[in-house]
Amino acid sequence: MDQTKSTVHIDIRRVSQKFQTARRGDLLALDRVDFQAHRGEFVSIVGPSGCGKSTLLYIVAGLMAASDGRVLVDGTAIAGPSPDRGLVLQNSSIFPWRTVEDNVAFGPQMAGLSRPERSALVARYLEMVGLTKFAKFHPRELSGGMKQRIAIAQMLACSPSIFLMDEPFGALDSLSREVLQDQLLQLWERDRKTVLFVTHSIDEAVLLSDRVVVMSPLPGRVKEIVAIDLPRPRHEARLLPEFGVLRNYIWSSIRNETMEAIG
Amino acid sequence: MTTATAPKNLPADLGSDVVAPEASGFPAPAGRASRYRWLKPVARYYPVFLLFLLWEILSRLNVFDPMFMPSLEGVARTFYEEVFVTHELLYHMAVSFSRAGIGLSLAAVVGIAVGILMGRVRLIEEFCDPLISALFPTPKLALFPLMMIFLGIGDASKIALIFLGCFFPIVINTYTGVKNVDKFFLWNARTKGASGRQLIWYVVCPAAMPFVFAGLRVATSTAFLLIVASELIAANDGLGYLIMFAERSFNPELMWCGILVIAAMGFIVDRLLLALGHRLFVWQDK
Repeated sequence: MDQTKSTVHIDIRRVSQKFQTARRGDLLALDRVDFQAHRGEFVSIVGPSGCGKSTLLYIVAGLMAASDGRVLVDGTAIAGPSPDRGLVLQNSSIFPWRTVEDNVAFGPQMAGLSRPERSALVARYLEMVGLTKFAKFHPRELSGGMKQRIAIAQMLACSPSIFLMDEPFGALDSLSREVLQDQLLQLWERDRKTVLFVTHSIDEAVLLSDRVVVMSPLPGRVKEIVAIDLPRPRHEARLLPEFGVLRNYIWSSIRNETMEAIG
Repeated sequence: MTTATAPKNLPADLGSDVVAPEASGFPAPAGRASRYRWLKPVARYYPVFLLFLLWEILSRLNVFDPMFMPSLEGVARTFYEEVFVTHELLYHMAVSFSRAGIGLSLAAVVGIAVGILMGRVRLIEEFCDPLISALFPTPKLALFPLMMIFLGIGDASKIALIFLGCFFPIVINTYTGVKNVDKFFLWNARTKGASGRQLIWYVVCPAAMPFVFAGLRVATSTAFLLIVASELIAANDGLGYLIMFAERSFNPELMWCGILVIAAMGFIVDRLLLALGHRLFVWQDK
């Protein structure tokens, strides 16, 4: 990662987010969160539920406005969502009324690409996620893992330079989860996009990331940032002793808060 | 490190969490069974045919006063004459259907548009919501005398009545559907570059469509109800008028023709809508 260290791609500057709640007054979901992601870096955000990690991701996506602070992408403050910052959500947010191929073609269609241009993109990205045979299917006919792969293909078809992923594998069974983690790693190692990956799985964060941002809840703060210097490719990294060391280190860092959060 | 043997060709091991999709189809039915397949939906309604049979038997046994319940055979004979000889029944059907159709179509266009706007624009929502809540429970038929004063006893007052009756179920369902569109669908579309207009056309409309359709179904049955009721009250033609006219001129066969035609038409239209819905919403999780 040394050659990319110099260029900051996503710059999160003292971002705070307040929510007004009916019973408990203002709730500080994010408290002066401040970190950077470099171009081509894979950064995970982990923390117990309630630490505001998804909120932070939605702010970077431009779907929520921060109460305070700024998010810069390539040095420019963001204003609203953009297809350059692709988003994959946990629960399949792909459109159930569209077939698989029409789902993948959604972004290009919005951008006004012609039908033949669109179908070339669809063919390419469906092949990339291995779902070419299912082009004419509707999402309800697919498994959870397949739906998430469609969501990834849908994002890829917009050719974003940033992937924002909000627990994309969180709702999957553990086998599908490992398969999709491997596929995402291969995809990332090929294209080296900048990734912000929200997860509650420490394993997943260590396996995938260059750095892990550890957050603590109430208010959501960056507790620490852990560099993961495991060698890549990582598909067998779980077997390395350092993997367990890093995993335990992060776990011990947030264990007390997690215990409290679970209550 | 042991990690040096990573496969470089991406698609090679993809697709390993594929499950067999159920929707790829049931085995095709055997040829012998499929020839009589059309019988099955008809056979489902055997209680209706039994009822007709009972009717005919009882009227032949002179259980009924023929002034109220003529024989089914007599009704069928009148039906034949009115349809194929004088074409009278066809004319009244056409009149009733065009009134109902125009009123329903207008209600659909306005109701869907207002429903979408209410669901998306706060100002319009705040203006329309109390109005609709207040007006919806009013029986629209109660307004019919008023409409006749303004619009006469011709087509206009009846179309206006049907419009009003159909507008509310359509606008309320559309509004509910638009409000219920999953936030994550909207978010997903926005991060894929959809503009405000594209959001409505490509996400809000298809996502709300099952609700809109349910509203249309309710509205259709309301239209049938109101067309007959308004024609019974005051009209010179139409099926409601025909029923009233037949009753007053001591022609129970003709009266029953009108009743049965309306019942059959309401039933057929509802079944067609249902079938269309099944076709349109194959994507829906059941």
